[in-house]
Amino acid sequence: MDWLRALLDTVSNPVFYKLTLSSATPLLFAALGGLYSEKTGVTNIALEGIMLLGAFFGIVGSAFTGNPWIGVLLAMVAGIGIASLHAWASIRFCANQIVSATALILLAQGLTGFLLEPVFGQPGSTPIFNRVSEIRLSFLGKETFLYKMIGTLSPFVYIVFALVIVTWILINKTRLGLRMRAVGENPEAADTLGINVFKIRYFGVIMSGLLAGLGGAYLSVGELGQFSENMTGGKGFIALAALILGNWSPVGAMWASLLFGVAQALNEQLQSNPILSIPSTAKPLFNLLPFVITLIVVGGFVGKTRSPAASGTPYEKRG
Amino acid sequence: MKRVLVLALVLLVSTMFFGNFIVTMVTDTGGLGDQSFNDGTWAGVKTAEEELGITAKVVQSYEQADYVPNLSNAAKESKVVIAVGFMMEDALKQVAPQYPNVYFVGIDISETGIPNVKTYTFKEHECAFLAGFLAAAMTETDVLGFIGGIPIPPVQRFEWGYRAGVIMWNDLFNDDVQVLIGYTQSFTDSQKGKTMTEAQYSQGADIVFAAAGLCGLGTFEAAKSAGEGFYAIGVDVDQDHLAPGRILTSAMKGVNMASYYAVKDAYEGFFEGGHENLGLVEGGATLSEMKYTRDIIPAWVLVMLKGLETMAIEGEFVVPDSEAGVEAFLQ
Repeated sequence: MDWLRALLDTVSNPVFYKLTLSSATPLLFAALGGLYSEKTGVTNIALEGIMLLGAFFGIVGSAFTGNPWIGVLLAMVAGIGIASLHAWASIRFCANQIVSATALILLAQGLTGFLLEPVFGQPGSTPIFNRVSEIRLSFLGKETFLYKMIGTLSPFVYIVFALVIVTWILINKTRLGLRMRAVGENPEAADTLGINVFKIRYFGVIMSGLLAGLGGAYLSVGELGQFSENMTGGKGFIALAALILGNWSPVGAMWASLLFGVAQALNEQLQSNPILSIPSTAKPLFNLLPFVITLIVVGGFVGKTRSPAASGTPYEKRG
Repeated sequence: MKRVLVLALVLLVSTMFFGNFIVTMVTDTGGLGDQSFNDGTWAGVKTAEEELGITAKVVQSYEQADYVPNLSNAAKESKVVIAVGFMMEDALKQVAPQYPNVYFVGIDISETGIPNVKTYTFKEHECAFLAGFLAAAMTETDVLGFIGGIPIPPVQRFEWGYRAGVIMWNDLFNDDVQVLIGYTQSFTDSQKGKTMTEAQYSQGADIVFAAAGLCGLGTFEAAKSAGEGFYAIGVDVDQDHLAPGRILTSAMKGVNMASYYAVKDAYEGFFEGGHENLGLVEGGATLSEMKYTRDIIPAWVLVMLKGLETMAIEGEFVVPDSEAGVEAFLQ
């Protein structure tokens, strides 16, 4: 009974919904990024590394100009930069995409750790700089449920949900989207019809860098105004899981990210709930909630998911 | 006689040039820049470096598998090796006996029984007790929050002491302040620190104490965003300046003191293996000076804190350092 009461307590708390959204946002950015890349047939498990680099350069931009939005811009550029390396290796040289992406994750971890000292004069973490401030919807009335729920969200949250719509339209309703899907399903056929497979794939991978970079920027200049080593903490990999769980569709990835967000928010609210008397040594178990929920959902409710057919195989022109 | 003098001189010169006294600190995975105990320990080593002219080095550990190789490599080229953090206990016990001529210092590590190892633990519960009492005095909502990293003994002692402080307040003033408790299972994920703090604020807490390494930076950011009426409490070192006015106080442990004296003793030849548990009495567990918040705390609360501190030092009551102890406290 206590559990039920605690659960009711949680879902009737407006901040629960706010935390769901803010936990889902970085995942959704990276998942959408992965979507662009995989739709064109290039797997990109480097999302984690790209996010980390984005987070770092976001803070660099904010630190040196005082304007966090310049940081966001710089994060996108950095994301594009590192993703281009992945594109170059895996499209131009047909390298194994898993290997190339793994190398990039290690590169990003090493580079950000190394650069902290020369750029900020201290290892480990940066001082606190300006961050993107929340959009306050004061017209909702300060004490209302709705205000507490969505009244103080970061602009990133609005951006990412807008991107879901944009991506859906791009993939499903435009010529470019059709070409992307063609290249991801059957590059030979697409090539025969005169589509430049390489160009489309470059576009996909570079977009993934841009979006994952944005996701990283959300963590640093969006939420904290500060960068610390390895601050992404595996979010890039969870985003990858969200992409697969969402069956490689933008809307699916959104629901999957929100599911992880719900699990995360539940974890935080339930742990601290005074109704449940749980010894502190058992509390860390709550942090497994997102993973347990994933297992249950993937194993029990979602049918077979299908990736783009040519995803992961390099394309070599014949003849 | 002359020959002996020359020999002595040569020895002296050669030790000055070649026998440089090297102190190497090996961090745990939190690493330097944690604004917390790694940085605190390093500050103590730096003080010793400036004062004694030794050479101080630092080696970062990125994962737990790094502990043993990092300690061994450090031992090969240093006179003193400092292992920072409870998680390094096993690695220290494994490496130290292999280098009997090197002095090992363990911070947050309990008695090892190895002759060339000096370990320090801290009575975190004693400073956390004062922080808990202060928070209970300052809360407007009668609800407080506590966020721990991973529930290892040094972190749990913060929790127990904090709760004991609240129990003391409730007992003295017949009040009913309660504490919400959460663990992030991480010392590095600052976003999680922020969201968990927001969760506790939404459940009625207005002061949240974060004993969770870098996650605490997220707590401070949450306190800043929430603004007027919401506070955080810092940990390990004086963190008050990280969000001036929003951090009520910091529950500090004297890691810098421990590392400084250990290095100094080793340098001057007084190093002795063994264990020390530092608390209020030794200045190993204290509250910060509250530079930015002193003005908003009523004078009588500060006086009471001082009084409780004296009483604890004189042994009028013992701050509990276990779950059972907290439950039985003042019963």
